[in-house]
Amino acid sequence: MQSAPLPETLAGLAGLDPNSVPVMILTSLIGAALIGTLMMTNTALAGPWAKRKITAAFTDRIAVDRIGPFGLLIIAADSVRLLSKELIVPDGVDRPAWDLAPLLIASSALLGFAVIPMGSGLHLADPEVGLAYVFATASMASVGLVMAGYASNNKYSFLGGLRAVAQNVAYEIPLILTGASVVIFAGSLQMSEIVAAQSQTLVGPLPSWYAFVNPFAFVLFMIANLAEVGRNPFDIPEAPTEIVAGYQTEYSSVYFVLIYLGEFIHIFLGGAIIATIFLGGPAGPVLPGIVWFMIKIWGVFLFTQWARSAVPRVRIDQLIEIGWKGMLVLSLANLLLTAVIVGVIA
Amino acid sequence: MSNPWIAIGALAVVALAIPITMMVVSSLLRPSVPEQGKTATYESGEVPTGSSQKIQFNIQYYMVALLFVVFDIETVLIFPWTVIYRDAVDAVGMTKALLPMVVFIGVLAIGLGWAWRNGAVKWVRSPRATKGADTYE
Repeated sequence: MQSAPLPETLAGLAGLDPNSVPVMILTSLIGAALIGTLMMTNTALAGPWAKRKITAAFTDRIAVDRIGPFGLLIIAADSVRLLSKELIVPDGVDRPAWDLAPLLIASSALLGFAVIPMGSGLHLADPEVGLAYVFATASMASVGLVMAGYASNNKYSFLGGLRAVAQNVAYEIPLILTGASVVIFAGSLQMSEIVAAQSQTLVGPLPSWYAFVNPFAFVLFMIANLAEVGRNPFDIPEAPTEIVAGYQTEYSSVYFVLIYLGEFIHIFLGGAIIATIFLGGPAGPVLPGIVWFMIKIWGVFLFTQWARSAVPRVRIDQLIEIGWKGMLVLSLANLLLTAVIVGVIA
Repeated sequence: MSNPWIAIGALAVVALAIPITMMVVSSLLRPSVPEQGKTATYESGEVPTGSSQKIQFNIQYYMVALLFVVFDIETVLIFPWTVIYRDAVDAVGMTKALLPMVVFIGVLAIGLGWAWRNGAVKWVRSPRATKGADTYE
């Protein structure tokens, strides 16, 4: 059941010709605005509200509950509060880079959602290189982090930026190699094909999601993803007890909001990649696809918050050794083992 | 099938428009109260000294970045192989499809082992940084 991409569906609904380029540009913009709004809504729910509630539940406290039902109106209150803060530009910042870094961090993560099949026809684009594209956009954030760290003219920021890059480069290769082991099963980088390849049943009622087919790769990917989004045990780039707040020390007002927002969109993008290549994308019984997709990405979000509350931080030397000596070797082994198994059963 | 990159370009426009709108809204809302000392960079309350771009940091950051370049190109070369692997097994058999990649990854594994033995992925501790810690022991 391969549905058409969202712009074509929209053109069909409006009764326009889906082969003309202006129509496609218009419907693509509408579709992109829809996807962008959807992910911003998720982030707005996660950042000021769900994160606090989850952390409070883990540490046996009551979080935001003053404004609105379950404290939900804190989202509106917080966005007004944060956007109306004074923007303090510190002495000696490297000006264009300092302003561009929050923009890059926030928008690069949003870009990745273009190729994610969210179910119920919410699939903006389906290029043949989908998986490679989504890894590329997900790793663009490290450029933003090093820009923020370097341009801030602050020693803590600089160290935080360096640590962020060291961490991202160490865990990106295990992440991508583990993603490649899924491609061996699916035989395609196209997201819709990867989802379609997971639609059979494995044994009994269990679907052939790659998390069940290759649980080892799933565990590796989840751990590497934690490092990519910078959550415990891999939150050394912004370790608050060591280097204040890392690369975001000097950011205030809307720039702080953008960096914070970018981190949350990044967590959701990681969740979306995991849902697509390991958990069957929007597949699931009874409920519509988009609901299942949301359940899956919120499940991954809950996992990152759980790790954040429960796991102690690793040191920078441990981080490098776990990445290069542990994860990389395991992911290479996983790739070769997968190739052997697929070769034997194929 | 229409060109999917139109839609991706549209999302790029939206992904830039959302943060820029937020910046504009914030610039309309926020106050500006310039004061002496407010713009000093944060150094735990001390008066900041020197530029951050001249601080010395661990050489290891360069080592892992160099290793990353090697392995990143490796992943780029592995991806096409993973896409065609299933068809290749059907067409020419498993040995012919798998063996070149085993050799390729083997060469890289030897390289990683060499870097490992040379201490490229082991965090260097400078004598100056650990001197104080030693005297406390």
